[in-house]
Amino acid sequence: MALRITRSCIGCNACKLVCPQKAVVRDAHGYAINAHRCDECASQPNPPQCGEICPIECAIVDNEGRALNPLGSLTGIPCEQEQVIQLTELAGHA
Amino acid sequence: MSQSASQSACSASLPPPNMSAEQAALVEKHPCFSKGAHQFARMHLAVAPACNIQCNYCNRKFDCSNETRPGVSSSLLSPAAAVQRFAKVKQRIPETQVVGIAGPGDPLANPNATLATLKAVGQHDDEVHLCVSTNGLELEDQLPKLLEIGVKHLTITINCIDAAIGEQIYAWVYFNGRRLRGKHAAQTLIDRQLKGLKLAIEAGMLVKVNTVLIPGINDWHIAELAEELQRYGAFVHNVMPLISDPAHGTYFGLMGQRGPTDEELAQARSDAGVSMAQMTHCQQCRADAVGKLGEQVNVDEIPDVVPAELTVAVASRSGEYIDQHFGYAKSFDLYRIGKAGVEALPARDIEAYCRGQNECDEDEAQLRMSRALHTLEGVDVLLCSRIGLPPRQALQEAGISVNTELALKATPEALEQVRQQLLEKSAQGSCAKECG
Ligand code: SF4
Ligand code: SF4
Repeated sequence: MALRITRSCIGCNACKLVCPQKAVVRDAHGYAINAHRCDECASQPNPPQCGEICPIECAIVDNEGRALNPLGSLTGIPCEQEQVIQLTELAGHA
Repeated sequence: MSQSASQSACSASLPPPNMSAEQAALVEKHPCFSKGAHQFARMHLAVAPACNIQCNYCNRKFDCSNETRPGVSSSLLSPAAAVQRFAKVKQRIPETQVVGIAGPGDPLANPNATLATLKAVGQHDDEVHLCVSTNGLELEDQLPKLLEIGVKHLTITINCIDAAIGEQIYAWVYFNGRRLRGKHAAQTLIDRQLKGLKLAIEAGMLVKVNTVLIPGINDWHIAELAEELQRYGAFVHNVMPLISDPAHGTYFGLMGQRGPTDEELAQARSDAGVSMAQMTHCQQCRADAVGKLGEQVNVDEIPDVVPAELTVAVASRSGEYIDQHFGYAKSFDLYRIGKAGVEALPARDIEAYCRGQNECDEDEAQLRMSRALHTLEGVDVLLCSRIGLPPRQALQEAGISVNTELALKATPEALEQVRQQLLEKSAQGSCAKECG
């Protein structure tokens, strides 16, 4: 049982600050969740804290790869618009 | 960065009549609170990447006004690095009288980094004014600590005091372990903002309120908001135009919400001006702004401040070579290195940071790390043969630079090399000062 951080992560550090298990780590490659420490917040009453505060859609997924905050769920920007941004971002980085 | 944070620093011409002498002095030197203070410079330190709300005029993926993506390391300036930056800027621009933390997220959603930075800046220079810009959500909880470290200037971004308006401005608010949405989110934020505003003013802080003017959403509400702010005793009100370029990728930008025209902005300021002194000279600066208002300074072009002396800790097993892994060191040999030479200081003992693979339980490792940090207080450079990544990071965040390149060299030789580097740097530093 553990969540994972994807490449969408912008490194805002918010999940690291709120994780009750101190499971979020930052290394040279960015942010990651230590699978041994993460209990998906089962030990406390609120939903997974990293997923509650993360501002980026699809940055945190469960062990089946399902996003806790799917596209369109956080910013309210309809998916098509969001995808256009992602495409332009990719183009810009190519 | 959020628009509110980026536009945070800046002020008014008419001080309220009931201001105390102490407050008048606070106004006088702050370029963002007083027009007359423009000979003073301010600096924002970007140590606060996390945010606890989402505003519809902000895209967390971009550094708002200039669209550079905040990379993991660039957005995370450690408190130690931030203080170094301050020291550097202060040396070049001695008029730097104001140090603020405004983002790129919400400073009070990053309380440790924010407080540690301001505290260290205050210790470095006790004349400097410390200020913080926040959305106000965590203000009530963090206020005692802000007061304790001497923060006297505060900026709160309050866009409305009506949750029906707020739900059109805030996508969500993270509070007490939950992501709240809709009216409930807006109401929670507004309640906390007003409570924080009241407490901060009662505690004698000088509070500026920023409001982002969003046509059709809060423009008709500005007069009412300003009246309430006056009732609470806010010092000055800064009504800022919404910036909603679609290229910034914000909700408002992509959904076609336009910013105000110059006339609309002027109208809103005059509506608000009935109750609140309006700030007119704001240049809408960024979370990492440096310099006088309206003037940009590139910090990376300023040479580092070169200390006259360095305190160096050496991890040595043999007592003769740099041959100890940081994690197994039981004591450190200490030296002071200066222009004149190398002087040995009393060695310091610690309980070894790591006791071998199996025993390395993380909590205990953390405890030992904090002991190690305590032992190394006042040390500038650590020389050791090897060190793990987490302790290296922890030491660097505490302002200790770690050097493993001199591994297996004889200690006196290694120390001499560090001294040569110091001499070279100070030669460059003074040259840059004279020639630059
Ligand atoms: S689910 Fe909970 S324990 Fe796991 S990383 Fe997220 S905040 Fe930490
Ligand atoms: S909160 Fe989300 S974006 Fe921020 S560091 Fe964690 S995973 Fe990355």
